[in-house]
Amino acid sequence: MSELPLLPTTAVGSYPKPPYLLEARRKHLRNQIGKAELTELERRATREWIQIQEELGMDLLVDGEQYRGDMVAYFADEMAGFAIAGLVRSYGNRYYPKPVVVGPVGRKAPVTVSWFKYTQSLTKKPVKGMLTGPYTIAEWSFNEHYPTRRELVLELARAIHDEVVDLERAGARYIQIDEPAIHTRPEEDFDLAREAMEIVTEGISAYTVTHICYGDVPKIYPAMLHLAVDQLDLALKNEEFALLETFRKAPFTKDIGLGVVDAHSHRVESVQEVADGIRRTLEVIPAEQVYVSPDCGLKTRTADETIGKLRVMVEGTKVVRSELLGAREGARA
Amino acid sequence: MALFLEDGVITTVVGNYPKIPDLPAPGKWRSAVEKFQKGQIDEAALRRVEDEVTVEAIRDQLEAGVDLITDGQIRWEDAQTHFARRLRGFHINGLQRYFDTNVYFREPVAEGEVGWAEPITVAEYTFARAHSTKPVKAVVTGPLTLGTLSRNTFYPTLREFVLALARALNGELRALAAAGAEVIQVDEPALCRHKQDYAVFADAMGVLTAGVRATLVLATYFGDLGGVYPQVLSLPFDIIGMDFVAGHRNWDVLSGAPFTKTLMFGILDARNTRVETPEEIVAAVRRISSTVPPERLQVAPSAGLEFLPHGVARRKLRALVEGVRTASEALKGARA
Ligand SMILES: [Zn+2]
Repeated sequence: MSELPLLPTTAVGSYPKPPYLLEARRKHLRNQIGKAELTELERRATREWIQIQEELGMDLLVDGEQYRGDMVAYFADEMAGFAIAGLVRSYGNRYYPKPVVVGPVGRKAPVTVSWFKYTQSLTKKPVKGMLTGPYTIAEWSFNEHYPTRRELVLELARAIHDEVVDLERAGARYIQIDEPAIHTRPEEDFDLAREAMEIVTEGISAYTVTHICYGDVPKIYPAMLHLAVDQLDLALKNEEFALLETFRKAPFTKDIGLGVVDAHSHRVESVQEVADGIRRTLEVIPAEQVYVSPDCGLKTRTADETIGKLRVMVEGTKVVRSELLGAREGARA
Repeated sequence: MALFLEDGVITTVVGNYPKIPDLPAPGKWRSAVEKFQKGQIDEAALRRVEDEVTVEAIRDQLEAGVDLITDGQIRWEDAQTHFARRLRGFHINGLQRYFDTNVYFREPVAEGEVGWAEPITVAEYTFARAHSTKPVKAVVTGPLTLGTLSRNTFYPTLREFVLALARALNGELRALAAAGAEVIQVDEPALCRHKQDYAVFADAMGVLTAGVRATLVLATYFGDLGGVYPQVLSLPFDIIGMDFVAGHRNWDVLSGAPFTKTLMFGILDARNTRVETPEEIVAAVRRISSTVPPERLQVAPSAGLEFLPHGVARRKLRALVEGVRTASEALKGARA
């Protein structure tokens, strides 16, 4: 992937929706505006986020998920076998529409391909294809159909594999499969999650990423290095890089998507903080394996906080990048 | 209390209950929190809405016919911070996953000596009792669960931290008993994950319950008690709650030794929307009644019902009561 610089900057997936889009989504729910009008505004918001990412100087872009409500419900809505059970609480007064599996699950048609194509058409920089992984879709849905979680997860893995194939055909060179729930039951289920990821990425030549967040990451380390992807994208900043201690115990053999800004705090970190976080990481993981990213999707932040965090991420990365390149020039001279 | 002298199985709940109605209504609690956060209403107005929603949660349980209810924990942000914010020695950190769920809580951090400062749940308990025609259970998060879901930056060992929490929460249990709480439940889901710390746990339970005059319930969920059974039977509790859904292995666990206490039998799946049929509940009650006699049986969901959408939670409670009534009739018939 020679087109990307050393320490490429990227994002996990979601960005906040602008007020006009939130308003349009509310109106759409009340049947006051049609799907076409909503889609037009989703495209406008996507264009704006692509432009912002380009202006900030990010390297590997995301579409910002302006067309999604929730990362699981979006796939459930578009696939066979699901219904929406209702709202359940996530934390505080945040609720999400939790799907329920009511029949055999599968793809009716490609889910994300047209959004990928649209977003990639807006920029010369590479855009990531963004999917939710089978274990997380299963874990964050109720299940009234399959007798075991295993059957549901593997069936979903086959469906998401088809989506990965279609994204690759549509030109995606980077495909991210989010599995924030993968370590929910580390002892009981990690082998199942691993088997599912093997199905998802089988025969794929695109660069693959999985994003994992919250929970007990040390519990699945170093086992997580066996997941069938090229990069593990993780939240480091949230715990002030405490995970580095875990990574010292066994070499981090994959690429890492290094979360350097906290996705759930209002405070915008300093450039210095970001640079320090990267420098500390480089003591444990070689620079060639490091991508720089926020901890998680930024959709719960305000637009200003999001842009602020992305800006310090890019600037902090530039500081370390030039230190590294300078040192290498120096070594050569 | 007459409830426990009755010859027959009763129904109860583990604790929390959905705070908002089903779609499309946003729900007054959620709207009120939003307005409060934007500074559009004051704290007193938010508390009034919480009172209203609590009354509704109580009404749902009474209408379903549940015998021993809770206040639904409508006012709790989560089971950890509700206590940690009001004890001495904590500050509150970022979000963490709550066991193997898709629910998150803010992590309490113990940065000094923890201690009980003032009643935390007493007003909630007295409010619920005043609004219920059926007995109300007070619920307190136990020291092992609070300790293992918090970050400890002050105490040198988990043992010291958990025992300090037990001393602090003993103040809460005493305050609840003094306020007239006849049944007090201690929630310890963490026991299912921390069986290696059983010695700490057992000592903490002694400290926690010292001098507390009430019927005491130990609620465990999200797993089984294999490895700590039958030891748990010698803990200072009258009722032990066990999860027979996530902790399906509890069926085998119970066969290891006679169950000598009252069992809170968590059989209704609190984490899936499929509503159990009365026949399934009857079958489960029949099966457990060969081990635990009906007068020592309280049938319940496997955990709090807040993991479910509101309508499903309500339907589940109705199915529970209907199934247990049918089972009770059958058991009485068999005895006569
Ligand atoms: Zn995340």
